[in-house]
Amino acid sequence: MEAGSLTEVRGGRSILERPSRWRRVDPMVRIALTGLAALILLLIAFFFVRLFVEAKPAFDRFGYAGFIFDNNWDVSKSIYGAWALVVGTVITSAIALVIGVPVAVAAALYLTELSPRRLRAPLTVTLELLAAVPSVVYGLWGIIVLAPNLRGAEQWFTDTFAFLPFVGGTVSIPNYFVAGLVLAIMIIPIVSAISREVMATVPPHDKEGALALGATRWEMIRMAVLPYSRAGITGAAMLGLGRAIGETIAVTILIGNSPSIGATVFSQGYTLAAVIANEFGEAASDPIHRAALIAAGLVLFVLTLIVNGIARVFVNRASRGERAAVPQGMAG
Amino acid sequence: MRTTKLLAASTAAALALGVAACGSNDTSPTSGDSSSSSGGAKQGGTINGAGATFPAPVYTEWAARFKDQTGTTVNYQAIGSGGGIAQFTAGTVDFGATDAAMKPEEEKAAAKKGTPVHVPTVLGAVTVSYKVQGLDKGVKMDGKTVADIYLGKVKTWNDPAIAALNGGTKLPSTKITVCHRSDESGTTKNFTQFLADSSPEWTNGPGVDKTVKWPTGTGAKGNDGVAGCVKQTDGAVGYVEQAYALQNKFTTAAVKNKEGQFVEPTLEATAAAGVGASPPADLKFSTINAPGAKTYPISAVTFLLVYQDMCKAGQSPAQAKLTKSWLNYALGDGQKIAPELEYAALPDAIKAKAQAKVDGLQCNGQPIGGTS
Amino acid sequence: MSASVLPAVDGRRRAKDKLARGVLLGLTVLALVPLVLIIYYLLAKGLGAWSKTFFTSDPTGRFLGDPGGIRSAIFGTIEMVALASVIAIPFGIGVALYLVEYGKKTRFANVVRYFVDVMTGVPSVVFGLFVYIVLVVSQIGGTFAAWKGAVALALLMLPVVTRSAEVVLTLVPDSLREGALALGAPRWRVITRIVLPTALPGLITGSLLAIARAAGETAPLLFSVAFVFGLQFDLSQRMNSLPLQIFNDVGQAQDRLVERAWGAALTLVLLVLLLTLLARLVQRRSRLA
Repeated sequence: MEAGSLTEVRGGRSILERPSRWRRVDPMVRIALTGLAALILLLIAFFFVRLFVEAKPAFDRFGYAGFIFDNNWDVSKSIYGAWALVVGTVITSAIALVIGVPVAVAAALYLTELSPRRLRAPLTVTLELLAAVPSVVYGLWGIIVLAPNLRGAEQWFTDTFAFLPFVGGTVSIPNYFVAGLVLAIMIIPIVSAISREVMATVPPHDKEGALALGATRWEMIRMAVLPYSRAGITGAAMLGLGRAIGETIAVTILIGNSPSIGATVFSQGYTLAAVIANEFGEAASDPIHRAALIAAGLVLFVLTLIVNGIARVFVNRASRGERAAVPQGMAG
Repeated sequence: MRTTKLLAASTAAALALGVAACGSNDTSPTSGDSSSSSGGAKQGGTINGAGATFPAPVYTEWAARFKDQTGTTVNYQAIGSGGGIAQFTAGTVDFGATDAAMKPEEEKAAAKKGTPVHVPTVLGAVTVSYKVQGLDKGVKMDGKTVADIYLGKVKTWNDPAIAALNGGTKLPSTKITVCHRSDESGTTKNFTQFLADSSPEWTNGPGVDKTVKWPTGTGAKGNDGVAGCVKQTDGAVGYVEQAYALQNKFTTAAVKNKEGQFVEPTLEATAAAGVGASPPADLKFSTINAPGAKTYPISAVTFLLVYQDMCKAGQSPAQAKLTKSWLNYALGDGQKIAPELEYAALPDAIKAKAQAKVDGLQCNGQPIGGTS
Repeated sequence: MSASVLPAVDGRRRAKDKLARGVLLGLTVLALVPLVLIIYYLLAKGLGAWSKTFFTSDPTGRFLGDPGGIRSAIFGTIEMVALASVIAIPFGIGVALYLVEYGKKTRFANVVRYFVDVMTGVPSVVFGLFVYIVLVVSQIGGTFAAWKGAVALALLMLPVVTRSAEVVLTLVPDSLREGALALGAPRWRVITRIVLPTALPGLITGSLLAIARAAGETAPLLFSVAFVFGLQFDLSQRMNSLPLQIFNDVGQAQDRLVERAWGAALTLVLLVLLLTLLARLVQRRSRLA
């Protein structure tokens, strides 16, 4: 390119000068995109406000504490106390965490630290396929395949361990446990993926140092990987919890739809999300029923907000690389 | 860019799929436009209805044959009587369907759109279906025992209460799994009415309504859901309409009626419940525990809901006409089809009153022109 | 540092190591077992339902006689998801562009980021409820309608598209932008000629994943579309969809309806898998990955 071509003149102006009509486009684009971003804020604000306004009649009639903590969901008498639903949500999510998180973290550990290099990619992709299965398919598989086949084992467990709290009595095919189990399967991909990301950022020095000092692979994991990843894993678990709390369709199919607190872990129950899906059609013209369902949705929303907020704190702490306490035995 | 080519290829494939599927002839029997039947100009169009699962089998059969005959599509969504009343009140459907007549407060809520009209269509039997290994059909039950089962007081099939009614029959010791509805249901209302008639404990406890606080059991959506629940577990009992019981080959109980006879749910026993019934002017009547030695005590009548002045309620005149023709079909040809699915046709006197109601429906003050 | 940090590896430690490795491997296999089972049952029960009429006839809703196939469900899903994508993808990429090109670290941008994050955590049933209140009950444009279902799906897709687009756009090297700006290009041309083309594979990946997610959602559609059997292309009317069809058939006692549910489930899973695989394929061609 010739030295003088950048200052070439076209109609008396340098080609570097922008045509004046272009000058107007930039601010327009900026305004348009800023408008879109502002639109999202407005949308979410509107979302929250509208939900709250629609739910208010229920809160006015039963009180906030009354709605959430009263255990009496009686549609025919127009009494809406959602405690059984809240408890059901908590129980199924807790089961999902207790079963799902250890499995997910174990899989993450295996994939990052122990698996043969060739298997890593295929196994990772396979694990992520669990996330591609839609919720309604999990429900279908759960109620037709899993729940009936588990019944025998659940009955045996109930009979053998009847002395444990929350175990004993009859076993129902749709119950808290099987709903929680399917939720656990559903949260494995997300918990595992985030755990893997966190574990991949463990500084190699820590790991190599431990190995150089003669630690076995497991000891290296225990001393270098796990403490470092603790915050991130907690964040991942909380994100999984958020997902489990909000899951609707699979739970509706598997929980038994009984608006009372089941006596055992193998009894039927109900959750906030399931009651909304089941009853909204009948609430179309009953203002209090509709308000109660929207209030249940609001409680669900707030719960997921809190859980996801806590999750974010942990995940941020992990990504900023804050080290966990130096484990004993490594101190110089 | 190769990515663009990849995208283009997949879009083309999708379009090709779309064209192929669009162009293929479907052989479904209900895609009626090209199917044969009574000649002449077909009225076509679509009407939407929603409501009870109790009559869903016969309504959907009617819809299929109605479409063959007139070309009109009837989209019936079986979401339960509660859902039917709700959608009817909200005006989101052309007609509602319920086995439980609207309560005064429900009619008040619908009043801003107009006066609801209940058009009875058929009678069906609410069976007490069970699936128990070792137990044949025809187990004898009475209202009090069934109430006790649903209250959770009778827990096994060989409970003395059941044995007392079935002297001689060997009863297995299987645990009873109770199946009930999780949605608002007219079937529930009729069933609980039957229970309340024989059990004061039920009346004072869960009571009679489209949905109650069930002391025990698993909830399922719709008659089909309860049927699924019964099918799934050995030892299960559930209340489902006769058509569902027959289709799934359930064993059904012989229930004690008002005269003390144990009657199985047959077409004749169901029809017997309608004999002698004299409904009030608004046609809201119940046939639970109807008199008669051969009557099945849990026979229920089901209704279609429309507004007295359909156009004032928000329907277009065209839709009102189609809805009226559907109602005429239900009370005409439909009555002959019902027994095929074990639903009893209306007794003539009641049918005449229902027809009078349909003839009296209006659109903006005028009678709706033309019939089917 | 002390002389002996760890005792020499002895049998006990080796045994613990072996045990731990075994447990981790076992749990990993355990994580994959459900997937294998689901795929097995989908194929075993779903393939049996597949036939030419399965894909070319609509569900009839009849109690006796032919239950019909799932044609209206497939088309309904395609149509509603297409409309949802048309709404959500440009919106989402636009917001991401704002965050990366203009907003960056400003307070406003951070607030927007926070709210988008909040949106990702909202359960889909709450979105459905929102659309129900705002669009269905208010009877704007009729009652239940397919476009309202598409709006609910779009709400679901929006935060997913925005977040993944933001990540991808951030990966575009600033040097590219600065070079173009130094040559005198205005900001918007930098975006359209440099940033977007470079990020395109990543944007496509993110969008395809969001579409895959939307295709499988049931709850938002329950509240806004209502269920109908017949084939319907009119977006202002009720429309069938694969998730709703499956949900409807799941609780049925009739075996052939449950079989239809399996066939529909297999179809849906294949659709979602196809989209996911396509997304991964595109990702591999990206210059940024």
